[in-house]
Amino acid sequence: MSLEYRLLAFLALALGIMFADSRFDYLDRARFGVAYLSTPVYWVADIPARASSWIDDAFVSQRDLIEENAQLRQQLLFAQRELQLLAGLASENSRLRELQEASQAVQGRVITAEIINVSNDLGSRRVLINRGAHNGVFEGQAILDAHGLMGQAVEVLPFTSWVLLITDSRHGIPVQVNRNGERAIARGSRGDVPGLVLEYVPDTADIVVGDLLVSSGLGQRYPKDYPVAQVTSVYHDPGQPFALIRARPLAQMDRTRHVMLVVPDDDVIGGGSIGVIQDFPAPAPVSNPEASAIEAVAPESDVTQSNDDDSQAGVQGDL
Amino acid sequence: MGPRANGLWIVILSLLLAYLLAIVPLPDWAMHYRPQWVAMVLIYWIMALPYRVGIGAAWFAGLFMDILEGSLLGLNALSFALIAYITLSLHQRLRMFSALQQSGMILALVGLNITITYWIKVATEQTDAGSLLFLLGALSSAFVWPWLFVFLRQLRRGFDVR
Repeated sequence: MSLEYRLLAFLALALGIMFADSRFDYLDRARFGVAYLSTPVYWVADIPARASSWIDDAFVSQRDLIEENAQLRQQLLFAQRELQLLAGLASENSRLRELQEASQAVQGRVITAEIINVSNDLGSRRVLINRGAHNGVFEGQAILDAHGLMGQAVEVLPFTSWVLLITDSRHGIPVQVNRNGERAIARGSRGDVPGLVLEYVPDTADIVVGDLLVSSGLGQRYPKDYPVAQVTSVYHDPGQPFALIRARPLAQMDRTRHVMLVVPDDDVIGGGSIGVIQDFPAPAPVSNPEASAIEAVAPESDVTQSNDDDSQAGVQGDL
Repeated sequence: MGPRANGLWIVILSLLLAYLLAIVPLPDWAMHYRPQWVAMVLIYWIMALPYRVGIGAAWFAGLFMDILEGSLLGLNALSFALIAYITLSLHQRLRMFSALQQSGMILALVGLNITITYWIKVATEQTDAGSLLFLLGALSSAFVWPWLFVFLRQLRRGFDVR
């Protein structure tokens, strides 16, 4: 009967498209084109959230405003004090860098964005932001909120982009402990509670509960020295070769709406001298987010010096 | 073929509405219970207008869903084509069913849809193999079906969709 043939034809077509989409990237162009149609749907779906925030803004009592104002003023004061300290540190840092003849530290600009939707796929952690190719977003661009790194753009559409959060289990981010520079790879944890797991950390590594993990920039995808997570538990199982270390991301993944996209400086992208680890090389076009996340991790083996990291890099290659 | 086409924009509009409901952000605890709106609306139109909405339409509806969700292209297209085929071959019986029996069918069809997409996602490592809580979506779909059915039937009769 013709119905069965039609079913078979469409099933074959779907399988073909799936294969093409997972292996090659020429379907990205079609996806990009059709996204002009899907953007309005997301725009309409976001109306309730926008309306509620508008209502929040419109119906605030004056007393609340005064209170909030005072609070913000105080926060600003604290922040400015820290900024003053930071200026001193920055100049000291650049002097030290000059002494070492190392590359200039990069202070990327940021553009702001808003989270307009959350992936309803329960097994993956992705959010949609309201900035896309027309706003200069590129694949692999780092996203952060006011508290820490959130993730990277994995699918750039005309006016929106999908962001893979660092808590997704297929995402790994190279980090180092702020206290002593111990390096590790933080992978999103499986399960319902969003968190990070430090992978392949030897039992002897000096990482304790409360340690701040910052991005190490070694993956050449995330900018260096942004706070990522705080260690919440360290467990040494005598039967296991590696310590089980869990960390809580600092970015407020499920509370914040406002995020920032890090814009790398142009001169850093263009003028790349050999032998210098740059904070921001031009991102290679990669279609598979998983491959890119792993790829981002891989270069660490080139720059590691300590013995601990050799075993780590070896295991990482098997992933 | 069937009668002269009329009011097909209602079909498209109802599908757009279903897409909206499918992506509207929900609190975390409610995520598991989100009914499969697009699949249900498709099943209704295939049941009501089998000569107009078929496997091809379901396939394209699924493709748009893939683009909307940012998932692997062809994922929803495949499972929608499959449930469209099942609905098409059963549509005469489905029309005769009582509301409860129809809900049972929806439970099976939507459950199949969810399971297929889940399998493919796990196979292509798009998602983690986790708990089977996602099947609750089929249960909530079966629960809202009688109301959705009445609503869409009113639409179809009101606008004389053929």
